[in-house]
Amino acid sequence: MIRFEKVTKTYPGPGRPALDNVSIDIEKGEFVFLVGASGSGKSTALRLVLRESRPTSGRVHVAGKEVNRLAGWKVPRLRRQIGTVFQDFRLLSNKTVSENVAFALQVIGRPKDEIRDVVPRTLELVGLQDKGDRLPDELSGGEQQRVAIARAFVNRPMILIADEPTGNLDPTTSAGIMNLLDRINATGTTVLMATHDNSVVDQMQKRVIELDHGRVTRDEATGSYGSEVV
Amino acid sequence: MQLRHSFTELRQGLRRNVSMHIAVVLTLFVSLTLVGFGALLNQQAAAAADQWGSELQITVYLCRDGDDNPSCDAEVTEPQKQAVQDVVEDSPEVDTWYLESKEEAFEKVKDLYGDERFEGPDAALTADDMAESIWITLEDPNEYQGITSQVVGLPGVAGVQDLREVVGPILSTIDRIKIASWAIAGFLVLAALLLVANTIRLAALARRKEIGIMRLVGASTLYIALPFLMEALVTAFLGVALAAGALAALVKYGIIDDLSSELEFIPWIGWPEYGVAVAVIGILGPVLTVLPTLLLTRKYIKV
Ligand SMILES: Nc1ncnc2c1ncn2[C@@H]1O[C@H](COP(=O)(O)OP(=O)(O)O)[C@@H](O)[C@H]1O
Ligand SMILES: [Mg+2]
Repeated sequence: MIRFEKVTKTYPGPGRPALDNVSIDIEKGEFVFLVGASGSGKSTALRLVLRESRPTSGRVHVAGKEVNRLAGWKVPRLRRQIGTVFQDFRLLSNKTVSENVAFALQVIGRPKDEIRDVVPRTLELVGLQDKGDRLPDELSGGEQQRVAIARAFVNRPMILIADEPTGNLDPTTSAGIMNLLDRINATGTTVLMATHDNSVVDQMQKRVIELDHGRVTRDEATGSYGSEVV
Repeated sequence: MQLRHSFTELRQGLRRNVSMHIAVVLTLFVSLTLVGFGALLNQQAAAAADQWGSELQITVYLCRDGDDNPSCDAEVTEPQKQAVQDVVEDSPEVDTWYLESKEEAFEKVKDLYGDERFEGPDAALTADDMAESIWITLEDPNEYQGITSQVVGLPGVAGVQDLREVVGPILSTIDRIKIASWAIAGFLVLAALLLVANTIRLAALARRKEIGIMRLVGASTLYIALPFLMEALVTAFLGVALAAGALAALVKYGIIDDLSSELEFIPWIGWPEYGVAVAVIGILGPVLTVLPTLLLTRKYIKV
């Protein structure tokens, strides 16, 4: 579903590459943690999947397409197959919870009937069925992240990408979010989550890929955050 | 493509930045009016040059009885008249010519001022008061010095009228005004472009977060850019409409109602030429707003 082939990404300016000859292969339906210290290249890898940027060398395949060779006008179609969640939620503060979720469908031209039908069901999935009319500011951090996840998932993407989704949340709330991501993964959606939150990774016992200064230093089928050396 | 969202965005966008949009519309209005004015002048000059330039005529007036012109002492005699016609006939600068009789001249005057004043016993003029004249069409409108100097000194010639001495300054004045209005329009067009660019930058900034989410969930670039393009078209439309109105007022009240009835010897432009000017600004206006919008949305909304 996601494959990196000898991917190197160098940003302009001095310094070592953000990603250095990275090769990763993620199957459909997998749940994968991308771990590593701040600055190790996690966000850069996720941006390559979304085609927010392109590799300096190597290839990135997503859903059978080589994304760095995709024509510009086809990029929106790629992104419709990928849901994305960030540490800072990125909700529109002047729209209600429902409107925020519906927005993702409206702007890709989905029919109204479908939106009216799908949005409440997705809010139910994330446990916010009673808060559809609230504004984001009236919600807790964990609830706001659930709205963001609902928005990412409302279009039933094949892939869900999450960049430090628990970075702003306390451990209990984080556990709830991880539970939600696990349930989304159980529907067959491939989940790729970047984090440096060790408790979350240890608790889930999923595949872990570790980056260190842009290089893959570990790839374990069921791992914990820290390697053997603690 | 959901147009409803685009229209909502359009309304919000126009409201969010009212003062900026008014500035764009007014700048467009003034610059397009000047461009259209230049286009009108261009056609006016062409129409005038068409009539006077290619068929430029020299008129030789012959002396009449009691002529107060110093070069005349009596009415032109038959041999004198013949001598003048011989000179005209032999001149290489002359293409065609004809002799206009007193009666023909009188008819022209009556046509211009109406019959009534020239009939009955108290007539203001009679055919006898008119001068005979020779109307010469030149081979080349720029070669006239030879024939003029040859004819001027001849006995029986009252004077030579060369329309170019009247028309030349008018044509060059029109030309200068046209160039001036286009130069000013050029600066204003530049100002309009900068204003449009600024408006888009502010609008993109105000909607940055929204645009970021739209890109992320896979909205097409056209979908994201559409509200901007529609804003550009609306402001262009308003600017063009105002300028077209101003030019229409100019043509109606300035030219058709005023100048063309006062100065009949000039072929004045009218509604067809106005149509051309409106076509020019009708194309230029949208280009001025849509082009920077396309360029800048590519920059601010790049996928
Ligand atoms: N847009 C950018 N321009 C220049 N350097 C960048 C940019 N984004 C990230 N980097 C650099 O690339 C490296 C990896 O960054 P990032 O992928 O954000 O790491 P992580 O998400 O693991 O913290 C860092 O050294 C960072 O400074
Ligand atoms: Mg990061």
